[in-house]
Amino acid sequence: MNVLGSALGDIYSFAIYCYFPVALAVFVFGCVYRILRMVFFWHRPMKAEPRRRGAGAVFIGLIRTFLDPILFSLRYRKWGFVFGLLFLHLLGVIPLIFLLAHHVAFFAYLMPFYSIVWPFAIPLSATSSVLTVTAPIEPYSQMSFTFVNTVWGPLTIILNGDVLTVLALVGTSFKIGTKIYERFVKGLRNARITDILVYAILLEVLITGYLAARHHPPTPVGTDIIVYRMLMGLHVLGASTLLAILPFTKYWHIIFGYWYGKFHEWYDLRVRRGAV
Amino acid sequence: MSHTQLLQTILEEVKKVVRWEGFDGKRVDEAVKRVLAGIDVVKLHYLENCVGCGACAPSCPYFYVDEKYSPVNKAEEARRIYRKKLTIAGMILGPLVEARLPKNEEDLDRVVEFVYRCTNCGACYTACPFGIDSGALMVLMKSFSTVVGRVPTIMAFLEAVERLEAYKEIPALVNAWKNVVDQINRELGRVVELDRKGSKVLYLPTLIDVISYPKAVVATAKLLDKLGLDWTMPSEPIGIRPPIAVVIGLSDRAKIVLKRVYDYIESIGPEIVVLIDGGFVYPLLRFELPIRLNVKPRFRVMHIVELLVESIEKGRLKLKYVEDKVTWHPPCQMTRRGGLTIEPEYVLKVVSRGFRRLPHHGLESYCCGGGGGIGCITFEFIEAIAKMFGVDAKQLISSDKERRFIEETEKAYKIALKRKIDDIKKSGAEIVVTACPTCMRTIALGAKLYGVNVKVLHIMEYLYDKI
Ligand code: SF4
Ligand code: SF4
Repeated sequence: MNVLGSALGDIYSFAIYCYFPVALAVFVFGCVYRILRMVFFWHRPMKAEPRRRGAGAVFIGLIRTFLDPILFSLRYRKWGFVFGLLFLHLLGVIPLIFLLAHHVAFFAYLMPFYSIVWPFAIPLSATSSVLTVTAPIEPYSQMSFTFVNTVWGPLTIILNGDVLTVLALVGTSFKIGTKIYERFVKGLRNARITDILVYAILLEVLITGYLAARHHPPTPVGTDIIVYRMLMGLHVLGASTLLAILPFTKYWHIIFGYWYGKFHEWYDLRVRRGAV
Repeated sequence: MSHTQLLQTILEEVKKVVRWEGFDGKRVDEAVKRVLAGIDVVKLHYLENCVGCGACAPSCPYFYVDEKYSPVNKAEEARRIYRKKLTIAGMILGPLVEARLPKNEEDLDRVVEFVYRCTNCGACYTACPFGIDSGALMVLMKSFSTVVGRVPTIMAFLEAVERLEAYKEIPALVNAWKNVVDQINRELGRVVELDRKGSKVLYLPTLIDVISYPKAVVATAKLLDKLGLDWTMPSEPIGIRPPIAVVIGLSDRAKIVLKRVYDYIESIGPEIVVLIDGGFVYPLLRFELPIRLNVKPRFRVMHIVELLVESIEKGRLKLKYVEDKVTWHPPCQMTRRGGLTIEPEYVLKVVSRGFRRLPHHGLESYCCGGGGGIGCITFEFIEAIAKMFGVDAKQLISSDKERRFIEETEKAYKIALKRKIDDIKKSGAEIVVTACPTCMRTIALGAKLYGVNVKVLHIMEYLYDKI
């Protein structure tokens, strides 16, 4: 087995060189399919004259369209807010996916323009992030990016892969737990089985990513790389699966559903009907 | 044909539609087709992009009756049909991906139960982080429910009476209309020329306005005169509360009535149409008429509060100042669906030093729980209608099963409205002013049930002696 090269000899190589491109293709196809579906259902209706309240009201309306549901959740669904929005989204997967240094490196490799995100990248481990604050020494070796004196400053004590992954794990587990409870104890059908499954895939991605990043579990010297590549392979497999199913599952909200929904609501409620 | 015979014919027609027992596959197929036909790009978003987070749940008045009435759980009924018929995964995997058509009596009973636990208030729409309007999906399911026959007889009856214009033959209603017109003439000291073509303003009260708050109808006429406007009004009502068909989800029948209303307005040719109903009639005529009829109206539809604000701001109207402890209950249709979030409060602040907002107001205001026809599904209401129309109340309840449904709905309604009443209590108001007849009845009922001493008035009723 070629464990270090790029041959398709292990899970990692398979995941990166075979599975990921296929997942990407499925993702692109899925996106096109979903958008075309919407176009197909679109027809131009005769619209009533909108109520004109002025640009200021329309702008404030835009902010409130995005903000109000968050405040509503904070007031009426505190657990959902803390575990769902805060842990899972804001402090979990969003910074992890888009800002974790390893992901930035990977995305920048695929899409060079993504390098602009480097100044906002967050380090992988809690230990190194503490060191960037307590012992901010530039590394001797030449590196394209160092975490010394970053824009996040002492915030890297929280904004690092370790802490954020733990929060995301807690948030995802909470979601899975509540979904199972709602579905199987309370019998509510809005807790969908497919949603539980896609959360389980996310959990797998988080766990394997965390273990790989920490080089866990400890293995005898020399075999470490094998375990590492296996975990990374599983991580990439899971992440690629998420990418492939994104257009067909609830994750579609990340790139389309959320934005379409909010902008439509803003136009309908604030621009057209003039609610302030 | 005498009005009694006419009503009996209507009741016969209604009987053929209403079916609370059994499962008729043909009707279900037809109903599924209706649901699918009602899907456009926006509803596609509502159907597809819900992540099931449940954030919308606390916004719904019926969530406080039972968790199963959360907006998302109710809307799943529409999603299950959609997935089964219009998604590949749903067609292949069926229940594994929550795709399933109603297939037995129990399913139909659950659909109608969910449908009449939604007022289409729109609170879930603004609470949802994804802008998903579960109320709109429940309207789709309402059409399903009606087509399969699970529709309250009282609603089917009122819809048919309005569509066939039978209300014009009912003595009690004809007299109610005539009395209001007479009173307007007396108060104005002149005879208002009804249906006058070329009038700049067409004042369009409906039968429900005249029955629920005749004083408000008269006060509006007084206001129009006081503002020196060139106005007229219909010589006979354009509908009971047109189009009632929307309340049971029948858009094709709603179109018939709406077209009649539109043609009448066009025959007068006004620049402005003034409404005083703040319920569904307002957003329907203001925003949906062009979409439903595919026309570009030449007139502007205004609610009376808009005219009040405009007149006050331009200094054309001075109102008597008082110290009443008064608050405004925002009808969901006029506020969340109609966008009139600030106008009524503006007017009431001008009138009373004692005006106070409800703790939950504007877009965040609590729904009273009576909309979507729910406020009409009570024994008291059914008896009142039977008396008014001169029919036997028993004819307005088709079976024991429907009777049980009414009982359950009434029970749920009385729980759902409590949140609103608590809000009113907290405000310390002694007078609740609003603009929707259903809200008025609901709040009055709630105040009685939960021991809150408030007077409930239509805004024009409240302003009657202040103009
Ligand atoms: S808040 Fe929106 S996305 Fe969440 S369950 Fe309700 S409708 Fe679905
Ligand atoms: S529209 Fe109102 S009543 Fe209907 S589900 Fe949404 S919040 Fe509940």
